[in-house]
Amino acid sequence: MKICVLVKEVPDAAVEKRIDPSTGRLDRSGERNLNPYDTHAIEAAMQIREGGSDVEEIVAVTMGPESAVRALHKAVSLGADRSVHLSDDSLAGSDVAATGYALAKTLQRESPDLVLLGQQSDDGECYTIGAVVADHLQMPSLTQVIKLDVEDGAKLRCERQAEYGYDTVSVEMPAVISVGDAINEPRYPSLKAIMGAKKKPLDAVAAGDVGIESDHVGEAGSQVQCGDFKPPPEKAGGEIIEDEDTDETVEKIVAWLDERKLL
Amino acid sequence: MVGRVSTAAAPAALSLIPSQEETLLREAVSGICRQFGREYMQQKRDSGGPPSELWEALASRGYMGVNIPEEYDGGGLGMAALSAVGEEIAAAGCALLLIVVSPAIVGSILVRHGTPEQKERWLRGIGAGTTKVAFAITEADAGTNSHNLATSLRRDDGRFLLNGQKTFISGVEDADAVCVVARTRTSDGGLGLPSLAIVDVDAPGFTRQQIPMAVRGADKQWTLFFDDVELEEERLVGGENGGLGVVFDGLNPERIMGASISTGIGRLALERGAAYARERRVWGQPIGAHQGVAHPLAEAKIELELARLMTQKAAALYDAGAPGAGEAANMAKYAAAEAGIHCVDRAIQAHGGNGFALEYGLSDLWWGVRVARTAPVSREMVLNYVAEHSLGLPKSY
Ligand SMILES: Cc1cc2nc3c(=O)[nH]c(=O)nc-3n(C[C@H](O)[C@H](O)[C@H](O)COP(=O)(O)OP(=O)(O)OC[C@H]3O[C@@H](n4cnc5c(N)ncnc54)[C@H](O)[C@@H]3O)c2cc1C
Repeated sequence: MKICVLVKEVPDAAVEKRIDPSTGRLDRSGERNLNPYDTHAIEAAMQIREGGSDVEEIVAVTMGPESAVRALHKAVSLGADRSVHLSDDSLAGSDVAATGYALAKTLQRESPDLVLLGQQSDDGECYTIGAVVADHLQMPSLTQVIKLDVEDGAKLRCERQAEYGYDTVSVEMPAVISVGDAINEPRYPSLKAIMGAKKKPLDAVAAGDVGIESDHVGEAGSQVQCGDFKPPPEKAGGEIIEDEDTDETVEKIVAWLDERKLL
Repeated sequence: MVGRVSTAAAPAALSLIPSQEETLLREAVSGICRQFGREYMQQKRDSGGPPSELWEALASRGYMGVNIPEEYDGGGLGMAALSAVGEEIAAAGCALLLIVVSPAIVGSILVRHGTPEQKERWLRGIGAGTTKVAFAITEADAGTNSHNLATSLRRDDGRFLLNGQKTFISGVEDADAVCVVARTRTSDGGLGLPSLAIVDVDAPGFTRQQIPMAVRGADKQWTLFFDDVELEEERLVGGENGGLGVVFDGLNPERIMGASISTGIGRLALERGAAYARERRVWGQPIGAHQGVAHPLAEAKIELELARLMTQKAAALYDAGAPGAGEAANMAKYAAAEAGIHCVDRAIQAHGGNGFALEYGLSDLWWGVRVARTAPVSREMVLNYVAEHSLGLPKSY
C-alpha cells in the first residue's frame, strides 16, 4: 500500500492571527510550522504501517512557496519516507478549489492507495481540501475521522465524529481521509530522525510537471474574491458580580440567567 | 588586554539563525518535557524518586547524549546541541541536573582522555543516555580552592584505595557511578596531582548521606564517604596524576550547561511574568501598562538574550577547540546566572502576592536559579578569572 499525506506550512500556533490590511488576506508572515492537524495524519499513516499492514511508502505532499520545504522536513522527521513539493509562481493566490485541483494533479502522479490529511489547516480552517481532492481523484472521502482500521488490506473501517456520537463507516480504498486531532497522539521525533530528514528524497515539481492547467489555478483560476475583511469586533467586557452577601449574589446570578432564558 | 594568537585550525562558526534541525530538536525536547510537566516534577520531588521516566523518554530518542560522538552512540553534535537540550528542558519547567554532570562533564572528559576500553565501558552508555555518572570535586575543607583537595588514592597491591569525603554532590541517587577527583599519595606521604577515578555507586566502602536543600528540584545533593574503596587502575581517567587539566576539560562544558539551564529558567519565568502583566488589571488597565512593571521585565529580557548569545558563543568555541572557550564559558555562566535570577525575581515582583503562591509556579523556580550564582562556579571566582585572564590584573588569592 502507498499512503500519501497532504501537509501544509502554516503560521505557528503561538502567533496571533490577523488580517493584513493591505491585502485583505490572512497575514502569513512570521514564524511558521507544520500544520498541527497534519502531524496527526502522518502519525495515522505510521500506525497503519506499524499495525502490520503492508505499507511500501509514506509520501508527504505539499503545495506552497519555497519555505514550505521546512514543513516537509518536519513531516519526514515524523516518519514519512520521502516528500513531494509542488511549487510554482502560477499557484500563488489559489483558493481552496484551485489548491485542491493542484494537489489532486500532484497526487495522480503518485497513484496512492490512501490519501490522509488533517481535517483543517490552522490558518485557513476551511475543512474542505480533502473533499475537493477526492472529487478530482474520483475517490470516496471521509472527514473528521478519529479512528481508522485497515480491513482485508483493501478496505478501511473508520469512525468519524458526528454531531451526536460517532458514525462507523466502511470505505473501499483508494480513498481520501481527513483526520481529527483525537485520532492519535503524534510521536516526537528522535534526534536520528531529525538529522536524517534532509537525506530523505525530496521531489520538487512545478505546475507543468504534473499537468496542472494554468488557467485553473492562481488568482485567475480562483472563484473566491477576497473582500473587505475586518478584524472581529472587540468583545464587550463581561459582568462581574462581587460576592458580598451570598444570598444576594445567588439571586443576581439566577436573575441574570433567567433574563437570558437559560433556566 | 592580554593578547591571544589563534591556533585553532577550524574556525568556530556561530550560526545566529537556528537551523531547521535545531528548531526541530528544541521543539521535540520541549514537547516531550511538557508531556511530563510541572505536576510530574512535583510528584517526583515529593515522593523522593528520580525523574527516570522523563530522562528515559528523552534518552530513548537520542537527546541525552547529543554532544557525544556518533561512534559512541551519541548525536555527534557537540555542546551547542546539548546546550539547546538543557535550555529547553529547563524552559519547560523540568530540571535534570544529571544532564550537566553525566554527558557534559564526564562525557566530555572521557571523549578527550578515556582509553578505548573506558570509552566502551562508560562513554557508550553516556552517549545513549543509559549510563549516568555523577561528578564529585567539592570538599567541605577545600572549598573553591581545588589545590586543597584531600580525598586520596593510595596504591595498594596493584590496585588503588580511595579515601576521603565529598560534599554537595548531585544526582548520586540516580547514577550508576561517580567520577571522583582525588589525589594520589606520594611515597613521602604527601599528596600529588589530582586524578579522576570512576567509582560504582554500590562499591564496598562507599556510603552517602543526603543534604537537606532549599532547591525544589527532583535531584538531590549528597555528602559522600570513601573508606578504603578498592579501584582497579583502569578506573583512572587520564591516568594516575592526570592533573587538573583533565578535570578542567569537563568544567567548561559544565559552565555552558549551567548557563543553559539558567537561561531556560529565565525564559520560563519571563513568559509567565509577561503573560500575567498582560492580563492582570488593578487600575482598569493591565499592570504591564505601568512602566514600573514593564521596564524591569524588558531589562531582564535584554539580559537574557545577551546571556543566551554568550552561551552559544562559548559552546561554538568549545566545540571547535578554539581558544577563548574558557573565557566565554565563564562569562556565559556569569551572565546567564544573573539574567536568570533577574528574570525570576522580576516575574515574582510582577505577580504581587501570587508570586509566592505555589499555584503560579514561580517561587518553585527561585532556589533553582539562585543556586546558579554559587554553583558550579561562584560569581566571585568568575570575576577573579576575568580580572586575571581577560584583563591581566594581578591574581587576588
Ligand atoms: C545545588 C548544588 C549542587 C551542587 N552539585 C555539585 C556536584 O554535583 N559536584 C560537585 O563537585 N560540587 C557540587 N556543588 C558544589 C559547588 O560547586 C560549590 O558549592 C561551589 O563551587 C562553591 O564552593 P564552596 O561551597 O566550597 O564555597 P567556598 O569556597 O567556601 O566559598 C564561599 C564564598 O566565598 C567566596 N570565595 C571563595 N574564595 C574566594 C576568592 N578567592 N575570592 C573571592 N571570593 C571567594 C565564594 O565565591 C563563595 O561566595 C553543588 C552545590 C550546590 C549548591
